[in-house]
Amino acid sequence: MRILIADDEIMSRKLLQKTLERAGYEVTAVENGRLAAERLCPADGPRLALLDWVMPELDGPGVCREVRGRKEQSYVYMVLLTSKESKEDVVAGLESGADDYLTKPFDPEELKARLRTGLRILSLEDRLVEAREEMRFQATHDGLTALWNRAVIMDLLGRELARSRREHVSTSIIMCDLDHFKSVNDTYGHLAGDDILKETAKRLLSSVRSYDLVGRYGGEEFLVVLNNCNPAYALARAEQICKTIAHKPAQTSSGTVPITMSLGLLISQEWDCLPLEELLQHADEALYAAKAAGRNCVKIASPKISSADSESQARVPARLRR
Amino acid sequence: MKESEDSSNLTFNQGELLARVDNDRELLRDLLTIFKQEFPGYLQAMREAVDSRDGKLVAVAAHTLKGMLSNIAAGRAADAVGCLEQMARSGEVSRFQEAFTAFERDATRLLPHLDACVAEVHR
Repeated sequence: MRILIADDEIMSRKLLQKTLERAGYEVTAVENGRLAAERLCPADGPRLALLDWVMPELDGPGVCREVRGRKEQSYVYMVLLTSKESKEDVVAGLESGADDYLTKPFDPEELKARLRTGLRILSLEDRLVEAREEMRFQATHDGLTALWNRAVIMDLLGRELARSRREHVSTSIIMCDLDHFKSVNDTYGHLAGDDILKETAKRLLSSVRSYDLVGRYGGEEFLVVLNNCNPAYALARAEQICKTIAHKPAQTSSGTVPITMSLGLLISQEWDCLPLEELLQHADEALYAAKAAGRNCVKIASPKISSADSESQARVPARLRR
Repeated sequence: MKESEDSSNLTFNQGELLARVDNDRELLRDLLTIFKQEFPGYLQAMREAVDSRDGKLVAVAAHTLKGMLSNIAAGRAADAVGCLEQMARSGEVSRFQEAFTAFERDATRLLPHLDACVAEVHR
């Protein structure tokens, strides 16, 4: 564990450094409070600190206040070293954000014991942060595929559409549905069905850019959101997804199962500022058109052709139009 | 004999210092060497602060010296300079000189003990 020592008096620094190194700490020693705050404030700074109370530039309580003023960063456990023993001084030190204080000259065993208390607090904080992150993940991701869950992918899509309208670029929505999934479940069982959903998620993620969004929309339906892309790219990407899903059977607990997927593609710029739900409805209709066309293919959702739209529609091959 | 030993321990308690450095004689020697190098400068700063009758300066200088002396288990001198710090904080300027003289006397008595300790550690 890394620890910062701040003391302007060289003998104290040396004594503390040696004592703590012998106890297994990785020690950084500085000679004033300003340097201490600069070392402790960054996110990757030491999380344990021993601070002399009276120091040049910035005193120990001042360092505590600066460190506590940071937001959203790991907790730093700080012990003030002081020869001040009055109740008022102790209260002032603790009020500044210190966790503990130790009277100089310190007893080495007491010092180590108090730092072990600090380590227990930090370990508890680590466990709490881990638990919070786990809960955050569970609340935002699909439990089976680890993709964004429906609520989150819808929220992200809404934000993406708003951004693309502001910046006059296009967002593409691809509604995807595994073909004949019900019969896969019926034939191979639900565990095999789960394996296929997980494999599909992997293949979807591998088919898009790192900043595109993939979520599980429900059952065997998935939603892919391509940020800031032109119609030709969106179409090529959707076709690539289709190929990637179908290119080899999925390995399941019941053996290999061939899979294919139908996709409905909607390019936002080709539509007026329709509400999200309506855009999804149109993407869904394109998906059903792909199903009707024999599955394992992509269909594009096209608005009713007007003179303004005709040029962009002309760029899309006729076979893909709904 | 017992009284003299107690008095000597008040001036410099080698056993306490050894415990503080976890019986690390090399560290003990290093600390005492640093002390001997640094102390004259701090003492001079203290003397000048007292002469200037500036309570704030006296308090800062006395606080630093108290820390140094406490670290090497020089209890008597640490207490003496601690008194001076208290006086400075409570504004008893008229007593600075008297308290400094007492401290200087204790500090002078301390130095031979430190030399003896360093010599012993070197052996």
